[in-house]
This record gives sequence, structure tokens and C-alpha cells, in this order.
Amino acid sequence: MRAYFIDIFSGVGSVLVGMRVTFSHLFTRSVTEQYPREKIEMFDRSRNRLHVDIEDCIGCYLCDKACPVDCIHIDTIKARPGEDLGLTEKYEKKKTFVFPKFDIDMAECCYCGLCVFPCPTECIYWISDYEFAEYDRSNLNYHFGNVTPEDARVRYEEAEKLKIQKDKEIAAKKAAAGTEIPSQPKDDSTESAE
Amino acid sequence: MDYFIQIVTDLLPGLNGLPQWLVIPSIMFLFGALIFTGIAIYSLIILWFERKIAAHMQDRLGPMEVGGWHGWLQTVADAVKLLLKEDIIPAVADRKLFKLAPYIVFLAAFAVFAALPFSDKIIGSELNIGIFYILSVSSVGVVGILMAGWGSNNKWALFGSMRSVAQFVSYEIPIGLSILVVVMSVGSLSMRDIVMAQDGGIFNWMIWQNAPFNFIAFLILFIAGTAETNRVPFDIPEAESELVAGFHVEYSGMRFSIFFLAEYANMLAVGIIASTLFLGGWQGITGASSAPGIGLIWMLLKGFLIVLVMIWFRWTLPRLRVDQLMYVCWKVLVPISFFNMVGAGIWIGLSS
Amino acid sequence: MESFVFYIFALMTITGGWIVIYSRNLIYSAFSLLITFVGLAGLYGLLMADFIAATQILIYAGAVLILLLFGIMLTARKTSIEITQSNLPRLPGAIISSLIFLLLMVVIFSEPNWNSATNPGVRETVPMIGKLLMTKYLIPFELASILLLAALIGSVFIARREES
Repeated sequence: MRAYFIDIFSGVGSVLVGMRVTFSHLFTRSVTEQYPREKIEMFDRSRNRLHVDIEDCIGCYLCDKACPVDCIHIDTIKARPGEDLGLTEKYEKKKTFVFPKFDIDMAECCYCGLCVFPCPTECIYWISDYEFAEYDRSNLNYHFGNVTPEDARVRYEEAEKLKIQKDKEIAAKKAAAGTEIPSQPKDDSTESAE
Repeated sequence: MDYFIQIVTDLLPGLNGLPQWLVIPSIMFLFGALIFTGIAIYSLIILWFERKIAAHMQDRLGPMEVGGWHGWLQTVADAVKLLLKEDIIPAVADRKLFKLAPYIVFLAAFAVFAALPFSDKIIGSELNIGIFYILSVSSVGVVGILMAGWGSNNKWALFGSMRSVAQFVSYEIPIGLSILVVVMSVGSLSMRDIVMAQDGGIFNWMIWQNAPFNFIAFLILFIAGTAETNRVPFDIPEAESELVAGFHVEYSGMRFSIFFLAEYANMLAVGIIASTLFLGGWQGITGASSAPGIGLIWMLLKGFLIVLVMIWFRWTLPRLRVDQLMYVCWKVLVPISFFNMVGAGIWIGLSS
Repeated sequence: MESFVFYIFALMTITGGWIVIYSRNLIYSAFSLLITFVGLAGLYGLLMADFIAATQILIYAGAVLILLLFGIMLTARKTSIEITQSNLPRLPGAIISSLIFLLLMVVIFSEPNWNSATNPGVRETVPMIGKLLMTKYLIPFELASILLLAALIGSVFIARREES
């Protein structure tokens, strides 16, 4: 019998305590961040999207080989001899390659970051941009190449011509020199694209 | 009602062109239409309040986008969405009962407003048995709920409607007994006499008279009124996570919005009844004033206040299970209200 | 005006009764009892018996109808419920009921003591009913309450769980 009355009074009391708590919460500041207007600050080293500073890239293919899902595709063409390609982003003299194709497919990327570490010039890195949704999946294939296709075709033909010329020179040298020392370092100064 | 008829015939002199037997029914129809519009607008406003209060009690913001300042057009957008929804009637449902049920529930909630005193002169119909009429007409809604549950041809809807009916009928007893306490002190069932007996300022309100019996009666009326309108914590018939909305699970669009309007109209009706019986009705803090608009504002303010406390309850308390609900009614509220009534009767008998 | 309202309520009552009797679906008959009860309450109201009208709605539409509906719904078969028409001839039943109806009409119309509409009768019915229930009709009142108490105890007894 006593438990019955204790139950009633404790029930009413707990309801009143609860109501006081909710009433006090009515006046506290709300924790909502209204998204399109107030964006959250991304923290340092957040991995949201890959970016390549193509001016710094030396065409070493280390990121291509490191990627576990093969989402990086690179084509390089050796620069013309004596061509001044300008300065890199870090104000060094530019290296020897131009890139008709440097694609990173972010739809296929698994965001593991294995491509960032091997880069010798730190030209591939994470940026904190998370609003890159697209309507068409092919738009998620980011193109970082820095020559146009026509220019690339011109450079290919030049490189082909240069290779043929160099091959002729080597064959002429070989024929002229007769027996040569077998261990001669291979001449791979004519690297053409695949 | 005479005051209202006078105002309308002053404003619309063209009304005298109608044949004599059509004038009074058309004015009554106008009153009903006004009440219906008032209920609809009030539902929109109170729904905005509910969402905002719920949000701020939960440390969040609530509707903010629609309409600029804190989303005040959100409920209008929701109403438009409900009206444009597809009207789905299940293939195996009983079409006549399915279609008729929301209107009967709304009828019961709406007919209560005919006897509520909004002001000294604005009352739909001055009945001798005012409060008793209100109690009896609000019981008709139960039949509508049963109709909805059976007409949906859905086991869960039927369970929900049975539970809702059991809850509704059980909680009518504490309401009746609390009303009896007030009727005993006033000596009349008429709403107007009850408000007039509280004349003379805030300390003359019924809630402070015959202490503590009237206060306990007010608390019981408030709790049982919350249970009548299926609000949390007595929410189990329309529990969103348990019974998937109970008896109105198969309703969509316009029909659902009628159930929804009926629930909010019921809440307002309970609020106005509680404030008429216990909180002084349309009188202000210092007693009745003569301006005809002030009474209406006070009445709506007090009704609103009780509805806001009901909203506060909703976002504080968890839901009671159905057997706990029945326990609270039959083993706590009914004995307390019986003893309250007996005690109040003895007190009133001794003090008169 | 008043006779217009009377005819509306009378029509409501008779329509409700018609659907109760002639509908093939048991649930429809049960729900149209609501129309009958509300029509009857309106007729009581027209006779200046306001308390009886409200009590009619509260008790009949709010409790008795629910009891009937629970009884039908909880004992229904899965398919739709239909009343089987019996094959007894209907003509003798029609003749007997019309004769009883005629008898009732004769008794009603030959009674000279009905209150006419010009005599408004009692204005406040509730205090009078209360006084009469407590003084003149006390014993039927107490007997009715004992009967209700017996029904309540019986239902609780039948519905309780066996505590072994």
C-alpha cells in the first residue's frame, strides 16, 4: 500500500524534474550548423580529394605504380631539346617531360593515399574539397595534363622523327666502328609514349 | 449567438434579401465556416510552434528555410504537400467505411466548438447543459476511430484502433469526475455560469477555490485530457515506432490531414475546456472587462497556454506501454478522482 | 423552421433504421446505428429534453455502440461478414408488424393529454431530474446501480487471469 503512494509521488516528481530540464534546454544555444550557409572547417591533413601540381611532376610513374586500383593514367612526351618549359611551382627549372594525359579517376580511387607518399617532388597531395559531386560519372575523371591533343600529336611526330634519326645515327656509328665493346650502356634518350 | 447575428447583419445588409427562413441558417453556417477556418489556421500555427519548441528543447533549430524567418511557412508547405499527394485506398479496404471515417472523427472534434464560450457574447450556442453536451459529443469520435481501423482491412490498424478506443473510453471517467467537482461548486452545467462564478480577478479562479480539491481536479483533467487526445505519453495508439501510426496507417494525403486536424482541434478543445472550467475562461487577470474583443484574446491565450504545456509534456516524457496506461487510468486516476469528488462534495456541503 | 428540423431528424432516424435492418453487411448495420442514435438524440432535443439528448449520445453512441462493434469485430470471420437470409416466408411477419403499428397509432392519437408546443414545459431539466432521482425514484436508481456493479464484477471475474 505504501509502495503505491510512493510510486504515485515519485512519478509526479520525476515528471516535474524532467519538465524543468527540458525547459532549461529551451534556452540553450542549439548545436546545429546550417550547412549551405555555415560550412564546417575541415581539419588539417583531411583526405578529401587528390590534386596534382602538374608543373612540378617529373613523370616518374611512381604514383601510377603505387595505386592499388589503377586509377592514375599517365602519358609523357619528352620535351624538345633546348625547349624552355618555364619554372615549376617551386621556382626550379622545369624538367624534361610534358604530359598529354594525366588522369586520376576519383570515382575509382579508393582514397588510400598510397600515391601521395612516393612522389619525389610532392606534387600529388590531398586537398580538403568535399563538394565535388557530379551528375555524370565521367566528370569525376580529373584531367591534369598540360598539353592539348593537337600539340601532343605534333610532339609525337617530332619524337618519332627524332627516334628514327637517332636510330640511323646509331646504326651508322655501329657500322663505322666495326667490332665494339659489348657492354655499352643502352642509349635510352629517345623515350616515346606507349 | 445573438451578438454574432447582430454583427453579421450589420456588416452584410444584403443578407436581408434572402427569404426569412434562410437567414438564420446561413448565419449559423457562416459561424461554422469561421470556426473551421480558425481551427485550420490554428493548426498551422501550433504545428510550427510544436516543431520549433521540440527542436529547441533538443538543442537544434527546427524548420529554418521555408519562408525566411525561422521557417514560418513550413507548415503551409506541408499542408500543400499533403493536399497534392496521391489518394491511395487499399484494394481490399472497405471503401465506404474507409472514406467516411475521417469525417466522423473530425465531426466529433468540431461539434465541441459549438458550445465553447469564446467571449462574453461570442458563443455558438448557449446551452443549459453546456459542459455535458461537450463531454457527450466528444465521445462520438470513438466510432470514427473504429471505422477507420476496420475499414483499413489491416490487422495493425485494427489493433491500434481497439487500443485507442479502450484508452479513450477509460479516460472519460476521470474527466467526468473532475468536471463534476466544478459543477458541484458552481451548481450549474452551463458554461456561462461556470465562467461567471470565477469573476473577480485571478485569485477567484476555480483552480484556487475549494482548495485543494479543485487543484487536484485540474491536474486530473489535464492528464486525462492529454490521454483523450492520444498525445504522448499516452501515445501508444498512434505510436510511430511501435504500431506504425495505428489506426490511420493506411491514410495518405487529404484524408490523413483531416485526422490530423481533428487531433489538433481536440487539443485546442481540451485546452479551452480546462481554461474555462478552472482558469477563468474569457476573463482577464483583474476580472471581466467590457470590451468584446479582449475576452476572445484572453480565451485563446489561455487555451494556447495549455496546448503549449501539452507540447512540453510530449517532448519530455517517454511513451507509456498500453498496460501501464490502463494502470494509470484505473488504479491511479479513478480512485483519486473519486476521493477528490467525495472530499469536494463534503467541503462544499460544509461550507455552504 | 422547427418542423423542418423535425423532419430531418426523423428522416435520419428512419434511414438509419432501414440500413440496420436491410443491409447485407453486418458492419454497415452496426455503424448505421450511429445515425439512428444521433437522430433520436435530435428528436429528444426538439422535445426540450436536453439532458436526455446528451445522455443518449454519450451512452448509446459512445458506449453501447462500441460494445456492439467490439462484439462484431472480435468474432468476425476473415471474409466479409454477411447475414444469411433465412427462407421463412416474410408475408405473415409483415402483416403482424403492420397490425401492431396500427394499434400503436390508435393508442397515440386517442390520448388527449399531450403537451402542445405552445406550452414550453420545464426550462431547466437537470435539477429536476436530479431531485426526482434522489427522492421519488431512489429505489430504481439504487437497483440500477447495483445491477451495473454486478455486471462490472462479473466481467472482471470472467476476464481475469487464473492465478495458480
